Amino acid sequence: MKRFFLRWEMALFGMLVAEFAIFGALNPNFLNLSNLLYSTSDFAQIGIIALPLTIVIIAGGIDVSFASTIGLCAIIFGIANFFGLPLALCIAAALGAGAIAGLFNATIIHLSRIQPLVVTLGSLYLFSGAATVLSGVVGAGGYEGIGNFPDSFTSFAYIDVAGLPAPFLVLLAEAIILFVILHFSRFGRSVFLCGLSEHAARYSGLPIRTIQTITYMMTGIFAAVAGLVLSAYFGSARVDLGTATLLPAITAAVLGGASIYGGQGSIIGTFLATLVIGYLQQGLQMSGVPSQISSALSGALLVVAVALRHGSALLTNFVAARIMATNRKRAAS
Amino acid sequence: MLDFFARNRVATLFGVTVLAFLLIGMVAPGYLSLSTASVIMSNSLVLMTVALGTMLVILTRNIDVSSGSVLGLSAVILGLLLNNGMGLAPAIIICLLCGALAGLFNGILVTFFSVPSIIATLGTLGLFRGIMLILTGGKWIEELPQSLKFLAENGSIGISVLTVAVVIALAGVWAITRHTRFGRYFYAVGDNREAARHLGIRIHLVQISAFVAAGTLAALAGIIFAAQIGFIPNQAGNGVELKAIAANVLGGVSLLGGSGSVPGVFVGVIFMTSIDSALVFLKIPAFWNDFIAGAVLLLVLLLDGRVRIAVEKAIRAKRYAVHSPNTGSGTTGPVHNTPSPTSSTPGPQEHAQ
Amino acid sequence: MERNNHDKAAVRVSDIWKSYGGTAVLKGVDITLLPGQVHALLGGNGAGKSTLMKSIAGLVSPESGSIEINGQALNNPSPAAAQALGLYLVPQEAQILPNQSVLENICLGLRSSAKALRGDIEKLVNDLSVRLDLDAQAATLEIADRQIVEILRGLIRKARVLILDEPTSALTPHEANALFDRVRQLQEQGVGIFFISHKLREIREICDVISVLRDGAIVLYGTLDDYNDHQIVEAMTKSAGGETANVTAPKRQRTTDFNLASNVLEITGFSGEGFRDISFDVRAGEIVGLAGVVGAGRSELAETLFGLRPSGSGTVKLQGKDLINRSPRTCVDAGLVYLPEDRQQNGLFLEASLAWNMSGYTMHRMGFFPKGKRETGEFSEFREALGIKCEGPGQAAGRLSGGNQQKVLLAKCLAANPRVLILDEPTRGVDVAARNDIYRLIHQLAEKGLGVLLISSDFDEIEQLADRVIVMAHGHQCGELSRQAINVDAIAHLAFESGAASHA
Repeated sequence: MKRFFLRWEMALFGMLVAEFAIFGALNPNFLNLSNLLYSTSDFAQIGIIALPLTIVIIAGGIDVSFASTIGLCAIIFGIANFFGLPLALCIAAALGAGAIAGLFNATIIHLSRIQPLVVTLGSLYLFSGAATVLSGVVGAGGYEGIGNFPDSFTSFAYIDVAGLPAPFLVLLAEAIILFVILHFSRFGRSVFLCGLSEHAARYSGLPIRTIQTITYMMTGIFAAVAGLVLSAYFGSARVDLGTATLLPAITAAVLGGASIYGGQGSIIGTFLATLVIGYLQQGLQMSGVPSQISSALSGALLVVAVALRHGSALLTNFVAARIMATNRKRAAS
Repeated sequence: MLDFFARNRVATLFGVTVLAFLLIGMVAPGYLSLSTASVIMSNSLVLMTVALGTMLVILTRNIDVSSGSVLGLSAVILGLLLNNGMGLAPAIIICLLCGALAGLFNGILVTFFSVPSIIATLGTLGLFRGIMLILTGGKWIEELPQSLKFLAENGSIGISVLTVAVVIALAGVWAITRHTRFGRYFYAVGDNREAARHLGIRIHLVQISAFVAAGTLAALAGIIFAAQIGFIPNQAGNGVELKAIAANVLGGVSLLGGSGSVPGVFVGVIFMTSIDSALVFLKIPAFWNDFIAGAVLLLVLLLDGRVRIAVEKAIRAKRYAVHSPNTGSGTTGPVHNTPSPTSSTPGPQEHAQ
Repeated sequence: MERNNHDKAAVRVSDIWKSYGGTAVLKGVDITLLPGQVHALLGGNGAGKSTLMKSIAGLVSPESGSIEINGQALNNPSPAAAQALGLYLVPQEAQILPNQSVLENICLGLRSSAKALRGDIEKLVNDLSVRLDLDAQAATLEIADRQIVEILRGLIRKARVLILDEPTSALTPHEANALFDRVRQLQEQGVGIFFISHKLREIREICDVISVLRDGAIVLYGTLDDYNDHQIVEAMTKSAGGETANVTAPKRQRTTDFNLASNVLEITGFSGEGFRDISFDVRAGEIVGLAGVVGAGRSELAETLFGLRPSGSGTVKLQGKDLINRSPRTCVDAGLVYLPEDRQQNGLFLEASLAWNMSGYTMHRMGFFPKGKRETGEFSEFREALGIKCEGPGQAAGRLSGGNQQKVLLAKCLAANPRVLILDEPTRGVDVAARNDIYRLIHQLAEKGLGVLLISSDFDEIEQLADRVIVMAHGHQCGELSRQAINVDAIAHLAFESGAASHA
């Protein structure tokens, strides 16, 4: 299993290199280092949310409500700022709201025992509705957004450390932390075990509910982080900030190797997949392809990649069976 | 009591919907009128058609989140053909065929390539939307011919051609799922795929048929969309797939496959659509819409889940009842009531899914 | 629809090969079934019976070889194709569509409508002398009724060939007899029947011909009357080297003087789902057998003890400490561990590594970052001590054979350092050699002072291992045997007689 994933991550890396080669050939400007680094600000939020989403999927769940949680947390930050709370408190309020949103999802899932996809679909509406209602509170119409953030906040999105822009740094730091937690800690192992077999996990006495609840809360918190990064980047908090991350984030997790049936996935894979998706869109744009068409290509990429992964597994089994059959015939004759 | 709700899911939802209408009618006089009904009906046509197709897919224990893009793609194809001077009838037929083809593609991915349906259709959601944008070059399609818009116009009795088409589709799907052999296969395949295969049902064919039907119905929804608003924007159909799934869940279609019905979907869609019109009459700002839709959906799910858990508990208690003192000692109980530890008995603290 | 061409075989299978993941399961099997014949098929676990029957029914495609049903070749194997040729497989575990009605469950896949068939089905239900509500939802059916539904499916399809895979395992003796009557009727009508069973008595009662399968090949074939029971069992168990495997491991030297003060597990008046008012204790160093037939409530008892099922009532004490209705983790920490009955589903994480599986009960005792080296070290110790045959600690558990999987589970239990070990069917689906290893291990553990509660439906196993036996039937404790009184007949007498009494 491990070897397979190493191979898959190598395949993703190969895809990334191929993208660089093709787009670099089409437009040499693409390979400009500062361009490569700064364009990450356009898609860092996809990775920020796809990484904890990967963990939810590995534990056997799924969450689609994050697309609204991003906007909700941003709006809460905006409101707190509107009422003159200190910046640190505003940020804490947004993160807290994210955690509560995750806890809410997990609680409903456990109380109703209905599939997480349906439950989080409901909270996708509920959270975006709540964000819209809340933004009405401070008089910001539905999609205008709340602005007037302190400079120290908005400039955050544009600072860089050693050439790395802040959103990308957030993503990188998150990836390292989650990598260590998922692949080396006891908690990470519990996540995998829950996803591999909920039955066996229960019989082993693992606290399945707690583990899954934590994964949903992590997604909520990182949705808040994504909301903050986007608010800083755009200079305003809007209800629909996260809408466009819904499909790319799930695509990144799945392309990165997370199995929708649980028990499989990796942080490095999702991280690489985020880069593959992000640079694909960037590269297409720079090559003069209209941005809408790039969405078709990322959709196609997802379908082809997953079909290949499943197809190659089928093919391997088939070939193994053929080889055995021919060997036997040879031995018989 | 609980049993009643669990078994008569559609009736319960219907009752709740009627009750909600009556309550709103009491608070806001004038709500309960034929014109409201007509508005709700025509507003619900697109969602109704998509939800109907989604139901067929969900019955087979798959899911289709690509229907919004299929809607957009087929609407664009229709628009382009019409604006190039093709007649209405052939354009509609080609449009529906494109929808069927899109569904076929989904079905093949899910069956022959065994890609999980959520992933496959998520991919095609982006793919079909992209093809649509390539076709239009990112521009809106406007100035659709009058002949198309006419389809959406209410005739003398307040019913449009499209309403008739949707009613026919509803009746057709209802008749097929209820009364034909092949229709029952949808339920069988979703209920227990292995059992269906074991009984000689061609499970691949059934699943592909469900996807093709869903694609065709999404294309029909695309025609309705174009006829109703008279132009085709880039985001045509965006998000309708999620609404369709929500309406299905409200209407008692189980996402685990194997149970659900057309009347349920009908009530679910009407319920979702009437939230908008009710808000208007209750003078609640429109931005409460999503919040209320989400809250209602979650509440229904929670109640539904709790009812099911209670029913399961009751069945479980009945199964083990042979050992309770009032049925006497074990030496008098009938043998085949004895629980056996094979996998079909409820396991320890079994989850519903 | 009488067919006179009896010279034509109902099923003719020649030179079938099939392998899973590189292991050959069927190695060139030939088998023929004539119309009107009841053909018994016997074999141990993993002998290839199910694979063979699934191939004939089109559920599995063999790699090579040919299958003919009623004279026509089964070219593109699928259940639909096999059924079109007149064959129906009644599987051991009923395949039910839980949300549909019973009637629909029986009729699905047939050309005629359920309404039209209702009368015929009601007649069949009568003939089988069972009670079945055709309009009930299938999810509410008991196991036995589900089996009846499967049998009705076969009968209503008017199949010319039926495969019955352990059809009586969930039936009462009364229902089983009614089924045998039907089988004889069908036989007279020229239907060919493959009958898979482990019960020689049943086979002798209704079968004409017998084939014994071992390691994917037919090792004995002939008319049933030509062989005695001993010959048949010998054919089933003979090892590849030609010797009969040593099925009877040395009988345990039973110690008689367990100190009464050394009770580790005391259960008094314990009731829960599927069992009622059970009282016994397990002393340190003692092996207590918990015997009974399938469905007697033993696994339910164990799972409730281990905190996996809704709460029970009564008292449970482990080393004097109260332990009723605690979570599995509390039980593990208190010194009680459970090896579940269903190894594949509940015991192992099939796709996880052996080391991870071993640490399943002890993960919470590791630090936040588990130390991989210590874990692999511990695994190597168990690997040597238990004789686990594997590539290494990183191998996925699903790739091991049944016996080695069970040893990994034992390692998982022992890693928790328990005082009392509950073993639920520890040798089910395990080959003879590994079975002896496991028996030896259980002995050693008891000698080291562990209390062992051994749940088994294999009375030979109980006789060999247990110091004391508690027999359960229908959720009740119906007897206790100790020391020299323990033998298969006595256990069977208690387990079956108290069950049979309920029919009188």
